[in-house]
Amino acid sequence: MHNFTKELVDELADKLLIGLTREENELILNEFNVIDETMELITKIPSISSVEPMTHALPSSTYTPREDAKEESVDISDLLANCDAYEGREVKVPKVVGGD
Amino acid sequence: MNYIKTIEELHEMLKNKEVTSDELVKDSLKKAHFIQDKCNAFVTILDDATGKEVNDDLLSGIPYGIKDNYSTKGILSTGSSNTLKDYVPFFTATAVKNLERHNLVPIGKTALDEFGMGGSGTTAHTGNILNPWDLKRMAGGSSSGSAASVAAGVYPFALGSDTGDSIRKPAAFCGIVGYKPTYGMISRYGLFPFASSLDHCGCLTRSVKDAALVVDAMKGQDENDLTSWDSQNIHLFASLDGKVKGKKLFYIKEIVNLENYPDASNELKEHLDNFYKTLDLLKEEGVTIKEESIDRTLVNAIFSVYQCLSCAEATSNMSNLTGIIFGPRGEGKNIYEMIKDHRTKGFSSLIKRRFVIGSYALQKENQEKYFVNAQRVRRLIVDKMNELFQKYDGLIMPVSTGPAPYIDGHKEEITNDNTTNLEEHLQIGNFGGFPSITIPNGFINNLPVGINITGKCFDDANILNIAYALESKMPYKNQVAPIIKEGPYE
Amino acid sequence: MSKYKAVIGLEMHCEMKSQSKVFSNAENSYNDNPNANIRPLDMAFPGTLPTVNLECIRKSLLMSLVLNCKQPEYIYFDRKNYYYPDLPKGYQITQMHAPVGTNGKIIIDVEGHEKEVLIHDIHLEEDSASLDHYSTISLIDYNRSGVPLLELVTEPCFNSAQEAVAFLEYMRRIYQYCDVSEADTKKGQIRCDVNVSIMDEKDTQLGTKVEIKNVNSFSNVEKAILYEIKRQSELKEAGKYDEVEQETRRFDEESGTTIRMRGKVDAIDYKYFVEPNIPKLKIEASWLEEIKKDIPILPRERKQKYINEFGLSEYDANIIIKEKDYALYFEECISLGMPPKTVANYLIVQIIAYLNKEGLTIKEFYLTPKLLKQIIEELEKGNISSKQAKEIFNKALLEKKEPKTYLEKTAQLSDEKVLEDIITQILENNKKQIEEYKNGKTNLFQYFVGQVMKETKGKANPNMVRDILIKKLV
Repeated sequence: MHNFTKELVDELADKLLIGLTREENELILNEFNVIDETMELITKIPSISSVEPMTHALPSSTYTPREDAKEESVDISDLLANCDAYEGREVKVPKVVGGD
Repeated sequence: MNYIKTIEELHEMLKNKEVTSDELVKDSLKKAHFIQDKCNAFVTILDDATGKEVNDDLLSGIPYGIKDNYSTKGILSTGSSNTLKDYVPFFTATAVKNLERHNLVPIGKTALDEFGMGGSGTTAHTGNILNPWDLKRMAGGSSSGSAASVAAGVYPFALGSDTGDSIRKPAAFCGIVGYKPTYGMISRYGLFPFASSLDHCGCLTRSVKDAALVVDAMKGQDENDLTSWDSQNIHLFASLDGKVKGKKLFYIKEIVNLENYPDASNELKEHLDNFYKTLDLLKEEGVTIKEESIDRTLVNAIFSVYQCLSCAEATSNMSNLTGIIFGPRGEGKNIYEMIKDHRTKGFSSLIKRRFVIGSYALQKENQEKYFVNAQRVRRLIVDKMNELFQKYDGLIMPVSTGPAPYIDGHKEEITNDNTTNLEEHLQIGNFGGFPSITIPNGFINNLPVGINITGKCFDDANILNIAYALESKMPYKNQVAPIIKEGPYE
Repeated sequence: MSKYKAVIGLEMHCEMKSQSKVFSNAENSYNDNPNANIRPLDMAFPGTLPTVNLECIRKSLLMSLVLNCKQPEYIYFDRKNYYYPDLPKGYQITQMHAPVGTNGKIIIDVEGHEKEVLIHDIHLEEDSASLDHYSTISLIDYNRSGVPLLELVTEPCFNSAQEAVAFLEYMRRIYQYCDVSEADTKKGQIRCDVNVSIMDEKDTQLGTKVEIKNVNSFSNVEKAILYEIKRQSELKEAGKYDEVEQETRRFDEESGTTIRMRGKVDAIDYKYFVEPNIPKLKIEASWLEEIKKDIPILPRERKQKYINEFGLSEYDANIIIKEKDYALYFEECISLGMPPKTVANYLIVQIIAYLNKEGLTIKEFYLTPKLLKQIIEELEKGNISSKQAKEIFNKALLEKKEPKTYLEKTAQLSDEKVLEDIITQILENNKKQIEEYKNGKTNLFQYFVGQVMKETKGKANPNMVRDILIKKLV
């Protein structure tokens, strides 16, 4: 069985940088149970693990990669037109501490 | 003057100077405002729009609508989300750019379920979108505003996008045509993504011919979208001849057979009955239609597989919505608090819930059971369909369990009752990238219902032609909601 | 030295050289002007999609081949999902399921002995934006967002800081030789993550692994490893090995120590999944064959050749292969017919010293192999002395004039006829000395040479003078 709990829902939401109300949290648990029931059944499909996962809508294709040529940069006024906080040509945020 | 015409008819009128492009545009704008008051179909109405030069191109001078999840340069593009409520892009989606070459005139940006996630038209940041046939009912989603405005006769067509059934279901609920071509026929560049491996561009029209014309103009390989492909040799409009003798179709027993629904409502019984009657019309034209059986485990899995895949891809696709580079800045002491504030305030409850589920499905320890198994079942379903497509030209199915539901009392929640399979089977078309078209096939309780035909990849012309033949046998082509009689039309 | 055995693994990130970025067609170059190399994808504007740079795939496959890796059947990418202000999409496009290379190995030289380094994988990914920090704010410049990166991951196969750094140095050279990257650490083009554990010599089980992230120079890699070995050894020595935690640390340049960032429980789940916007691309065998042809002779093979074929010392060979451009200069000289040992000597003693002093690269060096040949050739013929050669070398560099301009002025008297006449005349005038010479006073030979030199004001070709004198005195 799954370990999908109220606490985990909050933890997941927090990592996705979204806040949830108590009602939303409960709703998610209910909704998830619906999905989980079928996903549980899927694990019982014979030799399911040997099926190649389908990651793209169309079968592997032989697309042509882009030639290595550069295009002119987008104008800075366009880049920052929708930005609520910038300084000079850069996007401004509160000081980022710590790091990855 | 009433301009409820097909594109071909409008072109004739424009050519014969019975109307000018400018008059068409003015009329369209007037209707847009009327339907906005009634149905709340638009995020933006482009009041400054004016007519364009009419030439031999059937599309020239014709007004149309754009779903608000297409990026349009210099025009507000919100995806019906508060996270982008003031976002004005500096580039235009390839599909729209392709249409611009045809002298088409955009009239407005239509409202949708936020970023295309949802099937009811109740999650847009501008409020519920209503069905013009009955304002108490939903228009269906996510291309709600596009469906409502086309059904109300604002213009002959509007753009839609389809990740699960977002073009084809609202089309059925609004009594119009909804077509999503094979994955990659139309570039997705500039379409705000929901679930990239399932997202399709397409259109909503009032006739199959118009759908063919519009997609002919939207499609084309795009260097900005690696999943797009060269369709120069496909001419949809030109290949419609209505000849369908000898074509073969099938429907899926486990979804369509009434025996699957012991508690079926009268509405559902009527809907399925109407479906079988529609099949008879095709049989009269020499089409063979058979019932086929598919492993019930696969059929029952469709909906959950869809949720696992679409929610997972969506959480990743929408991670760029932080309010840092675009979108309203959130409040907070540090950047993470700011982003969290932006996202908590910006997203509707539905999206947030889906994100959490998608994120759970992707977690390292769960991925195999949920996300990867969903990808595996996706393949099993698609393989099964492709196997059947070797014997058949296409799959023909009823859309939904009947007409559009009431908005009141509707909850956009994941539930599983015994009609789920009938509600959600169009997702098969997204799993395989299959071409798929819905056309109206009658009325139940005076509300429109639809029928869908889905075929194998790249075989769009064949599928459209079968739909075209069927459309010709029924009186629903170019129908509009009666609401227009109340409007500023005569 | 610690009595424990250290086990070290490396992750080496190297910015690739190309015209455009890996998934967008923005320019890939360093730009002082912030946000001036931007296409819509680089700032993750809604609706943008990645495209794949062919040249970046080609170069990654080339490196995969160089490292003797296995190539996948298809090239495709994964999303690595996490929130950080330098990552506008909220995910990095990288390769997790099918790196361009897996399971490779390469032999390097460490202080005269050979070492086989095992490569876990090498994969292609995109770089992040850069943050500039101020007292209360940070500014984001997205120029670097989307710059192609190759990440090379070794097995934990090094046992000392010296081995690890030797590998990094060697890889830096390979990137340069293969024209995959400028691999300039000063420009931040190479960044490393290091993992270190210690174990008892006789143990078979690895100790607790500590990762040190984002070390930006090779000397810091060395310091970080040495510090970590010391720190872990001291704890083990004191019976407190359980305090060594599986964790992520960073290297603090000022204190020369490593500082804890986060523990194992805080490890980020990156929720990798296959990037659906980039289809799978089949790698045709014929394409790999073509790429193979583009692999240049690698520095280690060059070194062997210099030693075995050209007779250089290992010391000299090592210096020349250190920089690709030195090796290319050297090899061009050889192809122009100059003798390897003389060239090597000139390159190491004169040229490199000069370049270092002037702060120049060999590409900017005035005396191209063709010009150098004017000096070396005359020196070889014995037309000029090595002292004269050096003088011409310096003058040519100073005045930026071709060496032959000076050769004419200092040209030796090498005309055999003229020399013979002079020598005949001198011998005529020194009959008595000839007599004494023939009677056994052989040291008078130098006297005759001196006379010739005096007569020719030192310009006579000494070898020829010698030859003629011997002939005439017999």
